[in-house]
Amino acid sequence: MKKIIFFISLMLGMSSALSAQENSVLRLNATLQGYSPGQPWNKSEPTSLSGLVTYLGDGKLIVTAALIANSVYLELETVDGSHRIPAKVRTVDYKANLALIEPLTDEGKDYLEKNFEAVEIGKPCKIGDTLQVLQFEGSGRALKTEGEFNAAKLTSGLVPGNFFLHYFVKASMQSAASSISIPVFKGNKLISLVVRYTSSEQKVEAIAPEVITAFLENAEDGEYSGFPSLGLVTAKTSDPHFRKWLKLNDDKGGLYITRVIRGSSAESLDFKKGDVLLSINGINIDRSGYFESNNYGKIHWGHLVRTEKKIGEKLDVTILREGKEETRSVELKATNEGLIQSHSFDKAPSYLVKAGLIFQELDSSYLRLYGENWLSRAPVGLLDVYNHPEDYEEGRNRVVFLSGVIPTPATLGYEKLRALVITSVNGEKIADIPSLIKAFDKAENGIHTIEFLEQPRKIYLSAPIADEVDKSLIQRGLPTLSRQ
Amino acid sequence: MKILLFLITSFCALVYTSHAQLLEPTAKKEPTIYDSIVRIEVSTQVSNYKSPWKTGSFSGGTGTGFLIGENLFMTNAHVVSNQKRVLITKHGSSQKYKANVLHVAHDCDLAILSVDDFSAFKGLKKLEFANVPELESSVRVIGYPIGGDRISVTRGVVSRIDFSAYAHSSIDAHLIVQIDAAINPGNSGGPVLQDNKVVGVAFQGLTQADNTGFMIPTPVVKRFLKDIEDGVYDEYVELGISIFPLFNPAMREALNVKQNAPGVLVTNVLKGSSADGLIENNDILTKIDGYPIDSSGSISIHGERVDMNEVVERKFVDDKVKLEIIRAGEVKEVQVTLAKFTYSKIFARKYEEQPRYTIKGGLVFQPLDMNLYSISRFRSPRLRKLYSNYVSDEVYIDREDIVVLTKVLKDPVNSALSIFAGNPVESINGVKVKSIKHLHELLNPETLPEYFEIVCDGISRPIILPTALVNEADQRIKKQYGIQSFYNLEK
Repeated sequence: MKKIIFFISLMLGMSSALSAQENSVLRLNATLQGYSPGQPWNKSEPTSLSGLVTYLGDGKLIVTAALIANSVYLELETVDGSHRIPAKVRTVDYKANLALIEPLTDEGKDYLEKNFEAVEIGKPCKIGDTLQVLQFEGSGRALKTEGEFNAAKLTSGLVPGNFFLHYFVKASMQSAASSISIPVFKGNKLISLVVRYTSSEQKVEAIAPEVITAFLENAEDGEYSGFPSLGLVTAKTSDPHFRKWLKLNDDKGGLYITRVIRGSSAESLDFKKGDVLLSINGINIDRSGYFESNNYGKIHWGHLVRTEKKIGEKLDVTILREGKEETRSVELKATNEGLIQSHSFDKAPSYLVKAGLIFQELDSSYLRLYGENWLSRAPVGLLDVYNHPEDYEEGRNRVVFLSGVIPTPATLGYEKLRALVITSVNGEKIADIPSLIKAFDKAENGIHTIEFLEQPRKIYLSAPIADEVDKSLIQRGLPTLSRQ
Repeated sequence: MKILLFLITSFCALVYTSHAQLLEPTAKKEPTIYDSIVRIEVSTQVSNYKSPWKTGSFSGGTGTGFLIGENLFMTNAHVVSNQKRVLITKHGSSQKYKANVLHVAHDCDLAILSVDDFSAFKGLKKLEFANVPELESSVRVIGYPIGGDRISVTRGVVSRIDFSAYAHSSIDAHLIVQIDAAINPGNSGGPVLQDNKVVGVAFQGLTQADNTGFMIPTPVVKRFLKDIEDGVYDEYVELGISIFPLFNPAMREALNVKQNAPGVLVTNVLKGSSADGLIENNDILTKIDGYPIDSSGSISIHGERVDMNEVVERKFVDDKVKLEIIRAGEVKEVQVTLAKFTYSKIFARKYEEQPRYTIKGGLVFQPLDMNLYSISRFRSPRLRKLYSNYVSDEVYIDREDIVVLTKVLKDPVNSALSIFAGNPVESINGVKVKSIKHLHELLNPETLPEYFEIVCDGISRPIILPTALVNEADQRIKKQYGIQSFYNLEK
């Protein structure tokens, strides 16, 4: 008897909550346009995407960053298509794959205030909880799919290599319009935003509420500083022979530190390759890099830094060096951008066209021009930089390379050169595009000397001819010859 | 039986012409030119670079050859590559004669065979060589291609004379003549005739194009025959320099070269090559054996514009070549004694060689070469960079071999190490690895360290093998994986 009553009350509670969910979600139609990685002075063809946004009150709406990456125009639309409101991005974090958007005008804000219900972000869930995935058909009819939250893992969303806590929910979602940034609710609270869905496994992957909450708190004052990171690259210590060699006792876990990222929090700790990371704030890390979390079972240690701490907060890190344990305290910094930018969303790529030689800063968007198999098809010299940036760090902020040559009177004989990393111009070491632009001011006897890491090592340009060619390139339609 | 020419099969179209002339009654006993063109049947054993301790696979095929001297038959190198047994059959006969390979030149795809008993071939016409045929002149290709057992004749015209790649070794390029008669598997090694004289040796086709065949023209054949006169084939020689065209006016100005003066820029002189110590970076090459070199590195021989390397192509080991250079504004003459540059052979497909390897604790180490590279899917960009820049970056100075951990034969001693397969080995216990032999020594020292610490290029985490467990593990691995020998360090 008791059981049935409980069941009914649960049903009632849920049905009232569902209407609150529907009342907080709109569509977002985004027009996206990035830069062409091969011709950095041009923008690529615009594309459009449509997804869902969830209203958080105070004119703010949350969405995954994937929906607004490289956006040039955003428009909110009620799910039934009856009303449209132009919008803009307020805060975005591409690494965490989250963004806040807001209506462009106060009118738009008022409209949201009057017609929509603000939702709150829910508390972290427990494994086994039932969650609701909310989609809409073109007509505006809500499609609700229930699913079981069955795992939490650190995976990367939009930017490879940037790992955040994601929820994995087993649910058989349907295909519907506006399939990006689908909200996941528990009761009337927003829990997650869907990052990807694998229909064959009925697996929904969505950003965890802790990550969303941390993002919102950070964005509250309008000055967003990002998520912190320690800056360590590590390897597992599960190999028993490796452990013996490291003098790691079996009662310990530990991760072998293979690299300390330049300018990171860990670098200020004076950590070195070969140290073994044992614990963070007294929480032990096992030999595969996991710790025992309260909520989710085993979670990758990155979570302890990324989401549980804020930039500027202190962290105690214990390492093993030459058989001895040492604990050091560090103030956390934001994730450091390395030699290769982690992503190029919303960023106009830096470049310089000099007399027809095209210089760019290496990033993955350029390498991806080589197609689906770019990891094997891109020029091997550039791939080596991409895979081992630490070997090219000396004297560089970015890796500047010759990406191609426009045939001009000044580039006669150089037409086939490409994918060559620049070391110096006119004797000046090249750290990035701004330093390259400066170096081209220092021609000697009217000749520019450009040096590469590989054959043919050195080429020359006539400075006066280069200047003339530059003028004619502008006449030929290049909007600007450089961007810093 | 599988048709030979496994190289050619991949780029050969299946065009087959009738052998009508064969059916003409030949009442005369006088031997014809056909009698001098023989069918070659070869059994091969191809080394296994994937599992180098295995015997290799047995296979075979057929090709064509022709009599050029007293017990001297010419054919393609690829017809007799990796041979274990060669049999020769005369036109119109089913008798098989056992033959041996006297000389084989993989860099120009030519070979010379002789039979154990020449008596059956005595009195047959020895084919003579003519010069390079004219464009548009017609030629006959004779041989034993697929489609039947008897001799076949195809006609075509010379459609292009070029300097192009020889597929057999995959790195060599020499003079080549293209004809519009198809060359099919089995044709290889056969003569291409004009006025009953040999103007080339049929050797490769194209998959993308129908009715296209290629032959080795007589200058290349004659060079080969001259090279072997002393009984040994010495291979082609190289200068060992990289050049860059001097088209750019600013480059000329910077290097102090007058705007219309001839010459090409030297950008790299390889250590250990013929030119090492004689030519320097930034030298301008202006003449080679008296031929003026233009700004693209070409010269004009008898009115034909060819690459300056054509002069070197025609020379032999220890021959000299005279170079006129401009160094720091001064004209100098340099005499270079030519030699082979063996390090560039890392890019050449090899035949008749035993794969080198050594195994320790189930880790299989092999030196990188074309044979290994072409069958492996190496993903490490560091390895690919080391390989592609092996010569241009002079990697060979410190590393005679780039030794790769190619495979992990799983065993408790190495169960966590499979992820390291496919990476080049940089050092062992702090010592930089120079060659497969050196690595073998480092892994078999007189006094064992407690651990082998093996570091791969570009990977910070070392591979750790406890030496106390390795021997026992190797005994297990020997049994489990059926390995007869744990190493072979000789080619």
